[in-house]
Amino acid sequence: MARSRTTRRSLIAGSIMFAPYLILLALFGVWPIVQAVLVSFQPTVVNPAGGLQNFADVVVDARFVPALLNVIVFLAMYVPAMLIVVSLMSLLLDTVQGRWNLPLRLSYIVPASMTGATAVLIWYFMLEPSLSPYQGALHALGITQGNQIWRQGGLAWIFVAMAFFVGAGNWIVVQYGSLQSISDDILEAARIDGANAWQIGLRIKLPLIRKYLVYMGILVFAAGLQVFIEPQLISGSVYTGIARDWSLNQLSYDLAFQNNNLAGSAALSLMLLVVCIVAAIIVIFRTDFFEGTGVAKHDK
Amino acid sequence: MKRLAVALVAVMALGVALAGCSSGGTSASGKPSILIWVDTPRIPQATEYQKEMKGKVDVKIETIAQADAQTKIALANRAKKGWPDVIFGTAADTAVFRDPSNGYAADLTKLVPKKIFDGFGEGNSDCLFDGKYYCLKNDLANTVLWYNTKIFKELGLTVPTTMQEFADTAMKLQGTGYSAGAYGDQLYYAAFLQSSECPLAQLTAPNTVRIAPSDPKCTRVAKLIQPLLDAGVIDKRSPFDAGFIKDVAAQDKVAMTIGPSWWGDFVIRPAASWNVPAGEIAAANMPAWGSGNDNKSGAYGGGVFTVSSHAKFPQAAADAAVWMTTSDWMATAATTPTFPAYGPANKLWEARISKDPYYANNVYTAMAAGANNISQVDRPVRFPFVAQFGPTLAADIVNGKSLTTALDDYAKSLQNLAPQTGYKVITK
Repeated sequence: MARSRTTRRSLIAGSIMFAPYLILLALFGVWPIVQAVLVSFQPTVVNPAGGLQNFADVVVDARFVPALLNVIVFLAMYVPAMLIVVSLMSLLLDTVQGRWNLPLRLSYIVPASMTGATAVLIWYFMLEPSLSPYQGALHALGITQGNQIWRQGGLAWIFVAMAFFVGAGNWIVVQYGSLQSISDDILEAARIDGANAWQIGLRIKLPLIRKYLVYMGILVFAAGLQVFIEPQLISGSVYTGIARDWSLNQLSYDLAFQNNNLAGSAALSLMLLVVCIVAAIIVIFRTDFFEGTGVAKHDK
Repeated sequence: MKRLAVALVAVMALGVALAGCSSGGTSASGKPSILIWVDTPRIPQATEYQKEMKGKVDVKIETIAQADAQTKIALANRAKKGWPDVIFGTAADTAVFRDPSNGYAADLTKLVPKKIFDGFGEGNSDCLFDGKYYCLKNDLANTVLWYNTKIFKELGLTVPTTMQEFADTAMKLQGTGYSAGAYGDQLYYAAFLQSSECPLAQLTAPNTVRIAPSDPKCTRVAKLIQPLLDAGVIDKRSPFDAGFIKDVAAQDKVAMTIGPSWWGDFVIRPAASWNVPAGEIAAANMPAWGSGNDNKSGAYGGGVFTVSSHAKFPQAAADAAVWMTTSDWMATAATTPTFPAYGPANKLWEARISKDPYYANNVYTAMAAGANNISQVDRPVRFPFVAQFGPTLAADIVNGKSLTTALDDYAKSLQNLAPQTGYKVITK
C-alpha cells in the first residue's frame, strides 16, 4: 500500500516535470510531422491524384540522386571526423589538468560560438584567394583563383570544414564533461595494473563514455543529414547557384517554394525523418544506450 | 528535417501574424488601403508614392528581398491571406503568379488604361502572357556593347557592329593584356545565347516549351565564342569574380564587353567594382548576329510590378503599379538610375544620363536602340530558368568545360525541371 502510493506520487511528479517539454514536443515536433504527413499526400502539379505517388515523384526527380550522393559524401567525412577528433581532443583535454585546463576549454568553445551562417562568411574570406589573409599559403599551393576552390564536385569538404569547426569545440567540452564522471578508483586501478595513458584512454575511458559518444553520433548524423545553411548561403552569394539543390534539405526547400510542390517537399522531409529515426533506433539498440542511468558501470 | 519543419511553421506563423495587421483593408477614415512589397532599391519610389497619395490612399510599404517573392506569395497562398496588393519581382515571378495553380497575379488589361500600355511599346512585352498583361515593367536591362575608348584608340581598333566583327576585334587583343570581358555566369546567356535567339524557353503553345540546344541559332554561338575563350581574349570567370575584378577589370584592362544597360553605373563605374576612370567608357549598339531582324539584344535583369488578384481595392492597387513604373518622379530621381521601361519616363531619364560626363559618348543612344529590340524567343517561365545558370552553365564555363557541354548541361536541367511545373517539353 505504502509502496504503491510512493510509485503513484513519483509518477505524478515525473509527469509534472516532463510536461513542459512534452507540450513543446507536441507543438513543435509532433504536430509539424502530422502536418507534413497530411500535406505529403495532397495533389501536386505533376500528380493531380496525390497520394503515395508524391514520394515516388521526389525520388525520380533529376535533382534527388545527386543531392543524395552529396549528403552521403558529406556524412562519410563529417560524422567520423567529429567522432574521432572529438574523442581524441577530449581525452587530451582530460589529461591536461591544472592551470591550462580552463583556458584550453575556452579555446575550444570560442570557435563554436559562431553560428553556421557566420562560419560560411568567415570561410569564404579565408578560402577566396584574392581576399584571404592566408593568400601566401594558398598561392604556394597553386591556388590563385576563386574557381579553383569553389567548384562543383569539390564542395563537400568545404562544407564539412565549416560544419566541423562550428560543432567540434562544443562537443569536445561536453565529452570532457562526461570523462569527468569516471570514478578515480577505476583509473587508479588501471594505473596499478600497469596501463599507460594511451591504454587508459582507449581501453578504459572511451568505453566508459560510450553512451555519450553514441548520443553525439546520432545528433551529428541527424545534423549532417539536414545540411542546408552552408550550401544555401554559398549558393546565394558570390558563385550564384553553385550549390543549388546540393543537399536534400535544399531540394525540399526548392520543391516547396520554386516548384510550388509543398506535397513533394513534405514527402522528402518525411523520408529524411524516417532515415534519422531508423539510424537512431539501430544505433540505440545495437548498444546498451538505454540501460543503466549514465556513464558509471560498464560491467553488465 | 525537424529543424526545417519548425522553421517552416515559424515562417508561416509569422506570415499569418503579419497578415493580420497589414493586409489591404479600409482604414478608419474609409479611404482605400493598399500594401506594397518592394526590394530595397525600390523603397524611394514607393515612399514618394505614399507621400503623394496621403489623404487619398493609405499606402503601406514592406521590404522584401527580390529572391523571396515567390516564397512569400507561396506562403500567403498557403495561409489564404496576407497577400500584398502590389509586389515587385521579376517577370518569371509573374509567370508563376499568373498560373491557375498560384492565382496571385491579376489581369491588368482592363485595370490599366490603354494609353499606358501604348506608352510602354515593346517595353512591357515580358508581362504579356497569352494575350493579357499581368504586370508592368519597371526597367529594361538590354545588353549593349560597352567599350573603352582609350584602349580602342591605343590599339587602333574600330567599334564592332556584328558578332563576327566582335570576335575579330577580340582576337586582336591576344597578347596585349587586354580582355573582351568575362562571361562565366548569366552574362554568357544574355550576351550571346539570348541575342542569338537560341530557343531555351520558347513557348510554342500555352504550357508547351521548346528547349532545343541543337538549334542552329544555339550552335553558332559556341562556334564563334569558343575560339575566343581558348585564346584567352575573353575570360571564363564571372564578371563579378573577385579575381577577375582585381586582376583585369580594376586594372582598366577590359577593352570591351557586352553587358546590360545598368552595368555602366553599377559595375563599370563604382570604385568598389571595376573602377574604370571617367571619360573612357562608351556604349555602342549591340553587335548583330546576322542581317535584318537577326540583330536582337539580350537582357540581364529588369524588374516588374505585379498586382494581386486578391486586392480589396484593385483599382488603387493597379494605379500604384502604374505610378511606380511610369511617373515622371521615378524617371528623374537620382535614386532610380536604371533604364525605365515606359517610353515617356525613359525620355526624361535620357536627360540625365546623356549629359553624364563620366561617359565618353552619349550612352543613351545605344541603350535606346536595343531597348525595344530584346529577343522575345525565350519567355518568362515557371521553372527556375535563371537560377539554373549557376549550377550548370556558369559552373561548366568556369571549370573549363566546352561551351557546347555547358549549354547541353543547362538545357538538360531545364528539360528535367519544366515538366514539374506543368510544361510539355519539345527538345528539337
